[in-house]
Amino acid sequence: MASDGGMVAIVGFYRDNSRAIHKALSILCGLVLWHYLAAVVVADTAFLVSPLTVVSKAYEMLFVTGELYPHLFASSWIFLYGYLLSIVVGVPLGFLMALSPAVRDYAHPWMTTLYTTPRIAFAPVLLLWLGIGAGSKVAIVFLGCVFPILINSYYGMRVVDREFVELARSLRMKRVALFRKILLPASLPFILSGLRLALGRGLTGVAIAEWFGATAGLGYLVYFAGQTLNVPVLFVGVTAFGLMGIIGFEILRKIEDLATPWKTSHPR
Amino acid sequence: MASAILELKNLSREVTGRNGEPFVIFRGINLSVRDGEFVSIVGPSGCGKTTMLRVINGLIPPSGGQIFVDGREQKGAGGDLLMGFVFQGAALLPWRTSLNNVLLGLEGRGKSPAGARELARKYLDLVGLSGFEQHYPHELSGGMQQRVNLARALAIEPKILLMDEPFAALDAQTRSFMQLELLRIWSQTKKTVLFVTHMIAEAILLSDRIVVFSHRPGTIREEFRVPLPRPRDMEVKSDRRFVELENTLWKLIEEEVKAAGGFAKL
Repeated sequence: MASDGGMVAIVGFYRDNSRAIHKALSILCGLVLWHYLAAVVVADTAFLVSPLTVVSKAYEMLFVTGELYPHLFASSWIFLYGYLLSIVVGVPLGFLMALSPAVRDYAHPWMTTLYTTPRIAFAPVLLLWLGIGAGSKVAIVFLGCVFPILINSYYGMRVVDREFVELARSLRMKRVALFRKILLPASLPFILSGLRLALGRGLTGVAIAEWFGATAGLGYLVYFAGQTLNVPVLFVGVTAFGLMGIIGFEILRKIEDLATPWKTSHPR
Repeated sequence: MASAILELKNLSREVTGRNGEPFVIFRGINLSVRDGEFVSIVGPSGCGKTTMLRVINGLIPPSGGQIFVDGREQKGAGGDLLMGFVFQGAALLPWRTSLNNVLLGLEGRGKSPAGARELARKYLDLVGLSGFEQHYPHELSGGMQQRVNLARALAIEPKILLMDEPFAALDAQTRSFMQLELLRIWSQTKKTVLFVTHMIAEAILLSDRIVVFSHRPGTIREEFRVPLPRPRDMEVKSDRRFVELENTLWKLIEEEVKAAGGFAKL
C-alpha cells in the first residue's frame, strides 16, 4: 500500500499549501500559454517572443552586457523619490483636510481638479517647467502617487468611529493623545491601502515620464525597443516593470503585517 | 444617610430641529445619587436617557441646569477624571490588547508604567479576564469585550460609573451572566453606578433605585426603591415583590409609549 501512502502525502501537502500551489500553477499555465502562442500560433519574433527568449535576453542584459542596470537604477530612483515625496506631502495634507474644515474647503476644488485631470496631459507642461532632468520625472510620478495617498489619509481620519472620539473625551485625553493614540492608528489601514493604490500609479508615472526626453530608465528602454522593433528587449522592459510592482506589493504587505498586527487577514 | 455624590439640578438638553425650532431631548431633570448607590434609568426608546448620560459625562454640553459631583459643579470635558463611562458598543480599540485597552485611561496621568500595568491587571482580573491580557478585541466574545469595557472604566478608579445599556447587544444568556457578574463586581467595588437600560427586569435585578423616564421630551416620571435584599441572584426574579414591581414599571412605560403615539412610532 505504498502508493496509497504516497497519495495521502500528496493530498496532505496540497491541503497545507493549496494557495501557494494555485498561484504557482496559475503562473506556470500563463507562461506555457504565452510560449505556445509565441512559438506555434504567432510564430513571428517580430511580434511576440517566447518567455524563454525573454529570460535569456534578460540574463544577457543582466550578467553578460550589464546594460539593464542603468535603466533599473534610473527608474527605481525616480520612482522612490516621487513615491516618498507623495507620502511626505499626501499623508499630512490628508490629515489636515480631515481635521480642519477650512483646509478642506480650500484644498478640495484643487484636489478634485488635479485628481481627475489625466496626468499625461501634465507631462509636457512639467517638462517645459522643470526640464528633461530628474525633476520633471519625479514630479510626474509624484502627481500619480499623491492623490490616492492623500485621499485615503483624509478618508481614514474622517471615518474614525465616533465612539472612539467620545471614549477619548470620556477619558479626558488631550488633543495630542487623541491624535496619536486613536486617530492615527485608526487611519493606518486606510493609509496603507492608499500606498498600495499609489504603487501602480507611480510605476505608470515612471513609464510616462521616461517616454519624454529620457536617456535611461525602463520606460525609455521600452519606448526605444518599441521604436526599433526589438521585441525581446521590449518584453524585458515590461517584465522588469511588472517585477518592480510585485516587489513593491510584497514590501507593503510585510509593512502591513508589522504595522497592523490586530488585523486577522490582509488582502493577499 | 450618606450624602449625594452626584446631583443633577434642572438639567436639560435641546438641539435645533429640522424646522429650525428647538427640539427638547430631556428637561427638568433633578436627581440625586448617594455614594455607593446603584440607580437605573428606564424609559421608552428615544426618551433621551442615553443622551442624559453623555451630558453627565461631559461628552455633550447641557442646554441648561447643573451637574455636581461631590458638591463641585462639573463643566464640560475639561475637568478631572471623576466618571467612568461604559459604552453600549464596547468601544475597544482594535489595535490594542485587552491590557492596553484598559491602560488607555491610565496613560499620561502621572502613574509609573509598572504601577499602571498592575492596576490594569487588577481590574482585568476583577472582571474575570486574567489570562486574556494579550488578546486583541477581535479574539474576544461580545461578553468578554464588555468585560474589558467595564475594566477600562473601573481602572481609572472613578467616583461614579456611568453605564449606557452595556448588555443590550449581547444574547439573552450572556446578558444574564453579565448581570450576575455586574452584581458581584458592584458588591466588591462599592461603586456608585448610574445605569441606563430599556430592560425592566435588568433594572430591578441590579438596582437600589429605579428612575422612570417619560417619552420625549424626557422628564422623570416616577422613582421606585427596589424592595429586594442583597446579595441577589436569578432566584430573586420569582420573588413576589420583583414581579409586582416589574408589572408596575411595565404599565408605566406602556402608558408612556401610548402617549408618544403607540408602538408603531417607536
